[in-house]
Amino acid sequence: MRAQFRSRIRLVLAFVLFVALCILVRLYFIQIVHGEEYTAKADRQFASGGSGLFDRGSIYFTRKDGTLISAATLATGFLVAINPQTLSDPEAAYAAVANVAENALSREAFLAAAQKKNQVYIEVAHRLSEEEGEALASKKIPGVQVLRERWRYYPGASLAAQAIGIVSYGSGDTLSGRTGLEAAYDGALGRSGDSLYKNFFAELFSNVGNLLVAARDAREGDIITTIEPEVQMRLEDDLAEITERYASKESGGIIMDPATGAILAFVSSPSYDGNDLTSVDPRRLGSPLVEHVYEFGSIMKPITMAAALDAGVVTPETTYNDTGCISVSGANICNWDLKARGVVSVNQIIMQSLNVGAAWLATRLGQDDFRSYFTTLFGQKTGIDLPNESGALIGNLAKSQQVGYATAAFGQGIAVTPMQMVRALGALANGGAMVKPHLVRAVRLDSGIERELDWGEKVPVFSAAAVRETATMMGALHDRILGGGKAMIPTMSVAAKTGTAQLTMPGGGYYTDRFFHSFTGFFPSYSPRFIILLYTNDPKNVQYASETLEPAFLDLVHFLIDYYEVPPDRGFATTTPA
Amino acid sequence: MLSSLRLRVPFSLPSLCYGVVGTLLVVYIGLIAVIMSYATLTVEFSQSVRNDEAAIALLEGRYLADISRITGTNYAAEGYAKPAVKAFVRAESVTALR
Repeated sequence: MRAQFRSRIRLVLAFVLFVALCILVRLYFIQIVHGEEYTAKADRQFASGGSGLFDRGSIYFTRKDGTLISAATLATGFLVAINPQTLSDPEAAYAAVANVAENALSREAFLAAAQKKNQVYIEVAHRLSEEEGEALASKKIPGVQVLRERWRYYPGASLAAQAIGIVSYGSGDTLSGRTGLEAAYDGALGRSGDSLYKNFFAELFSNVGNLLVAARDAREGDIITTIEPEVQMRLEDDLAEITERYASKESGGIIMDPATGAILAFVSSPSYDGNDLTSVDPRRLGSPLVEHVYEFGSIMKPITMAAALDAGVVTPETTYNDTGCISVSGANICNWDLKARGVVSVNQIIMQSLNVGAAWLATRLGQDDFRSYFTTLFGQKTGIDLPNESGALIGNLAKSQQVGYATAAFGQGIAVTPMQMVRALGALANGGAMVKPHLVRAVRLDSGIERELDWGEKVPVFSAAAVRETATMMGALHDRILGGGKAMIPTMSVAAKTGTAQLTMPGGGYYTDRFFHSFTGFFPSYSPRFIILLYTNDPKNVQYASETLEPAFLDLVHFLIDYYEVPPDRGFATTTPA
Repeated sequence: MLSSLRLRVPFSLPSLCYGVVGTLLVVYIGLIAVIMSYATLTVEFSQSVRNDEAAIALLEGRYLADISRITGTNYAAEGYAKPAVKAFVRAESVTALR
C-alpha cells in the first residue's frame, strides 16, 4: 500500500517537473530566441499608448481679481487608426474618415497605409471632436478604430506664446516642454505615464511606499503665472500695431510690478499660435526678451544719473557746460541734434536726452565706480524662470578706454537683454533695489496644496534719495516734454524716458539711418505699481522713439490706471485738451 | 485520545479545511471584483474630469477671443468720436461724515 502511494507521488512529481520544463523551454524561445520579434510586434500594437494617454499639468494666467484662466491645458477628442490586416474596403473606409476628419491623411497616403499588411495599427487622423469621433465610431467600419486622444491646447492661441512655450517630441518618443514655462517647469507639469491604466495588483504589491508617501503628489502640479491676460492682450495689440505700421524687424515689451518682480505682461512680436506649429519659423519659438541682447540707447541715462547721484559726484542742482560734441579717446560724441546747450543743470541730461551730459557723468563717476554700478546691474543674469537666458555684453567696461564708459552712459557700446534692462530700471522704481523678475507665482500641487514660490531676493544698488531725484527728472520729462506737454496726467505722476540707438553694422560701426527704439516709464512716480519697457527694432521711415513708442506707452498708462483703478497720487481739478 | 476527540467535534478536520479554503477563495474573488470595479471607476472619473476640463478650456478660449476682439476694436471706425476735452476732477465723497 505504501509502495503504491510512493510510486504515485513520484509520477505526479515527474509530471509537474515535465510541465515546468516545458514552460521554461517555451519562455526561453519567447524571451530569448524570438524576443526582438515580439518586442517589435508589441511596439506596433501599442503605438497609440503614448499619444492617447498624454497627460500634463495646466498653466494658468491670473486675472487682477485672482481668477485663474487656462493658458495651457489639455483638449480631449479622438484619433482614428486603421488595422490593415482587417480593413476590407480601404476606399469606403477612407471616404468615411475623410468625411469627418479635416486633417486626415491624403487618399494616396491612406491607401498606401492600408496596403501595409504586416502592421496592425496605423494612425490616419488626429484631434477629432467628440461629435466627429462618435459619428465615425457609430459606423463600426471593420479595421477602423476610433480611440480617445488628448493633446496640448492653448486657449489664448498666440497670447503670451513665447512665455508659455510649447511641448513637442525631443530625441525620444515622449512629449515634454521645449521652450518657455513649459520647459522651465517641465518637472512639475510632466506626468508619469502610468497614472490611469496600470496593473493594480502589481501596484498594490510593488508600490507600497507610494501608498504611504506619494512622492509624485509633492512634485507634480499646475503652474500659476503672474501674467494678467487682459494686460497681456493690450500690450500685444499695441506692439503688433507698431510692428506692422513701421515694418519693424521685431518689437517687445514687459510690464512688471517693480516691488515684487511679478511680470504682468511679456510680449514679443511677431509671435506664433501654439496650437498650430506646422508653419512656424523656429526662430520665433524662443524668447528675445531673455535670449537676445540689444543696445538700448538713452533709456540707460536715468541709470547713469542715479549712479552719479548715489555716488555723490553730482546733485540735481549741479551744472555742466554742454558743448554739443566732445572728443573722447579720439571718438566724437555728440548730442542727438548736434547742438550745444551751454551751462545747464544735470536734470537737462534726462529731459533733453543729452549724450554729452551722460558722457560727462561717466567721467565724474570714474571708471571704477561706473564699472561697479553697471556690473552690479548687468553683470549677472536676472534668474528669471525661463530657459536659455543670455548674459549682457559689457566687455567695454573691462577696458581702460574712456570712450567705452562714455558711450555706455547713454546706452551704446554695451548690450543687455530686455529683461536685464527692465530689472535695472525697476531699481529706480523700487527705492534703489533690484528684484528678481518672475513669471510664476505658485505651483498648485496635485495633492491640493498651493505652494507659493519665493522670489524675495533683492539687490540694493542705489540710495532711495538718488532714485527719487532721478524719478523727479523723468517725471518732468513726461509732464513737460512728451507730446509737447499734452501727455501730462493731472492726477497721476508718471516717470518716463525715451531711447533711440543706432543699430550696429555687421563689420563694426553704426548705421546712420537704422535705429533701435526703446521707451520706459513707471507710475505712480514715487510709489510705482507698474514699470513698462517697450522697444521696436529697426522701424522704417522713422527716426525717434518718441514717434513710434510714445502713443503705445501713453495708451498703456491710461489703460492700467483705468483697469486697476489706480488712485490719484496728485489731484487737482483741471481740464486738458484731448 | 484522537477517537475521543472525533466524538466531540461535529465535523472532520478536512471538512474544516475545505470550508476555510472555500471561504478564502470567495473573499479573494470578491476582492478582485472590488479592485477591478475601483480601477474602472477611477479611469472613468479621471476621463470625465479631463473631458470637463477640456470643455472649460474651450469656453476659456472663447472668452479670451472675445477680450481680444474688444481690445482690437477700432472705436473710431465703429462711429464713436474722440472726446473734445478730458476733465480730471476730484472724486465725490462717498460718505456723509466728511
